[in-house]
Amino acid sequence: MDPIIIKAEGLSKYYRLGMQGSGRFREDWSYWWQQRLRPSKEGREEAHIWALKDVSFEVRAGEVVGFIGRNGAGKSTLLKIISHITKPTKGSVKGRGRIASLLEVGTGFHGDLTGRENIFLNGHILGMTRREILSQFDEIVEFSGISAFLDTPVKRYSTGMYVRLAFAVAAHLTPEILIVDEVLAVGDAEFQQKCLKKMKEVSTAKGRTVLFVSHNLQALRNLCQRAFLLEKGELVASGDPGMLIAQYLQKESVQYLQQEYADIQTAPGNQSVRIKRVELIPDYPDGGNIIDIRTALKLELEFWYEPPTSSDLIVGIHLFNLAGDCIFDISSPRFSLERGLVSGGCLIPANFLNDGSYYISIVFVSNTTSRLFYFESCLSFQVADYRENTAWYGKWIGHVRPDFPVTLRSEKLLPDE
Amino acid sequence: MKETDEWEWEVDSEYHWFRWELGSIVRYRDLLFRLVRRDLLANYKQTVLGPFWILLQPILTTLIYWLIFARIVKVSTDGVPALLFYLSGVICWNFFSDCLSGAMYTFLTNSAIFSKVYFPRLIVPVSSMLAHSMRLLVQMILFFCIYFLFYASGGVPGPGWGWLFLPVLLLMTGLFGLGAGLIISVLTAKYRDLDYTLQFVLRIWMFASPVFYPARIVTGGEKLWFWLNPLTPLIETFRAICFGREVVSYDYLFICVFDILVILVCGIALFKRHELKLTDIV
Repeated sequence: MDPIIIKAEGLSKYYRLGMQGSGRFREDWSYWWQQRLRPSKEGREEAHIWALKDVSFEVRAGEVVGFIGRNGAGKSTLLKIISHITKPTKGSVKGRGRIASLLEVGTGFHGDLTGRENIFLNGHILGMTRREILSQFDEIVEFSGISAFLDTPVKRYSTGMYVRLAFAVAAHLTPEILIVDEVLAVGDAEFQQKCLKKMKEVSTAKGRTVLFVSHNLQALRNLCQRAFLLEKGELVASGDPGMLIAQYLQKESVQYLQQEYADIQTAPGNQSVRIKRVELIPDYPDGGNIIDIRTALKLELEFWYEPPTSSDLIVGIHLFNLAGDCIFDISSPRFSLERGLVSGGCLIPANFLNDGSYYISIVFVSNTTSRLFYFESCLSFQVADYRENTAWYGKWIGHVRPDFPVTLRSEKLLPDE
Repeated sequence: MKETDEWEWEVDSEYHWFRWELGSIVRYRDLLFRLVRRDLLANYKQTVLGPFWILLQPILTTLIYWLIFARIVKVSTDGVPALLFYLSGVICWNFFSDCLSGAMYTFLTNSAIFSKVYFPRLIVPVSSMLAHSMRLLVQMILFFCIYFLFYASGGVPGPGWGWLFLPVLLLMTGLFGLGAGLIISVLTAKYRDLDYTLQFVLRIWMFASPVFYPARIVTGGEKLWFWLNPLTPLIETFRAICFGREVVSYDYLFICVFDILVILVCGIALFKRHELKLTDIV
């Protein structure tokens, strides 16, 4: 086993809200006096949050570790402590080797300086020496594709060029520990692919330890070998990223409409079934991009199938609501399929689900009873409410909300009094 | 397998006054020099005259002082050619105030990058001081060019052994600015209004230092306070050496060196103790 490279013990971080950032001498002064005069009085405790509470973990050299959690769960605070930017209130982190953060694009760039100057400036800020940058310089320029503009001030760059250059510098870092905090939030899809590819290369080929935070769960699942789930500053679980993402999705109701795996070896599954792609394609009404109760959802599924001897296959789709109640369990007929790529799908019709958050699990069963693979919580989505011709705005009850007509008819008129 | 306590670094919850990690500045020297370069390059981008401003700025200030104080108000320059007298004062004062303001905005202007990446924060004010030292060097060359013009016409005594002492005086001036700037940088990060007060204090401070008048004219009860301003002995000794006068008082010079070292130590200690705390505030 690889040696432990980071060891965090009992990390806690406390933020005083309001007071500390007041920037006004008088308030700080009176706060200070209050502390002196009545140090034990609990009632005067002002607004505060524990951004981290007693977090302990270990990371081994060469691991790619992801941190999952909603905004404010403490992921970024944790990474900031590890990268020495801020101190914990309690606890400690020990480690070996140089740390560098993949910066938010453009941090540490100076608009008036040329691309060439900025490559050096940014590289040094990230802790590289001159010699290290020089040895990577050509590669950086090539990766960013800005060689023609190397001597132009970066403020004249297009946003795309700027982003590419910034990432190119960071991607050629050579630290033992690389911290990547939500850098994929910017840039177009193509660029994000390029970043992800580069990061994978950094971790696998060069054996670096990567700590990764992203809301892009797809990327996280693909890149990481292990994940930590944070909730309100506490480390609630750690383990297989797929499992944790499922756990997170069940709790958090996030949209997660697509998963795709290019590499058959690392895709989720087992020797019989390997997932290639699962995707929910909403058929948005009137060109919007919000799934509401009028939206039909097409589920598409592709997987590599290696049939166990003499068996047939049933694919079942389970839809759960956030509370974990199963809304439906539908399955395909029995198929006898050959070894190879299989595709399938189903349609969740419009005007069927009530508003709320849902997640889907897919089950692969052979010979009606033996479960080959359960792809748990692989997709999740939210359905918004939509109402017409009604003046009532309370929560519409019920698990489903089908559009069966309910009719009324006048049968018999009573004579006027 | 080694899973012993052989850690290379540790982040704990303690804040230290005297863990300065000056070695890390050496490790990050490439960054230090790059920041100096950035300072010098970026400051004069998109100006017509470019780096000539380094020379133009003290020349213009000197000419204004000359016009006001030598021609109109007629303040004595102690028998020293007025241009040289003002130029020496302006160069010393500018170096001090540049080092001070270079350090005092450390946290405010770099908050974005400080919250994203770690490097020894002390690099920023030190790099700013080094950049200003480069400017100082250019300005000193200008000063001596003019000096030798006057020397040719017999207005000043010319070089002597005392000149070897000039770099020390200038170094002390810079360190004074740096030390005071470090203290102020921590305070302004916490209390923004200090910034406005300081602009004002700096202006008064200049009038209270012998920039455009000789120290000799301050007498009576103010004299003691006047000389306890570390800039007074520094500027006065600088002039005494250049213009062949008696060094006014060695006592005050020693006090001033002692003060500056104390301020510098306090500045670095305060800065190092707060450099990470302030990330949570700014």
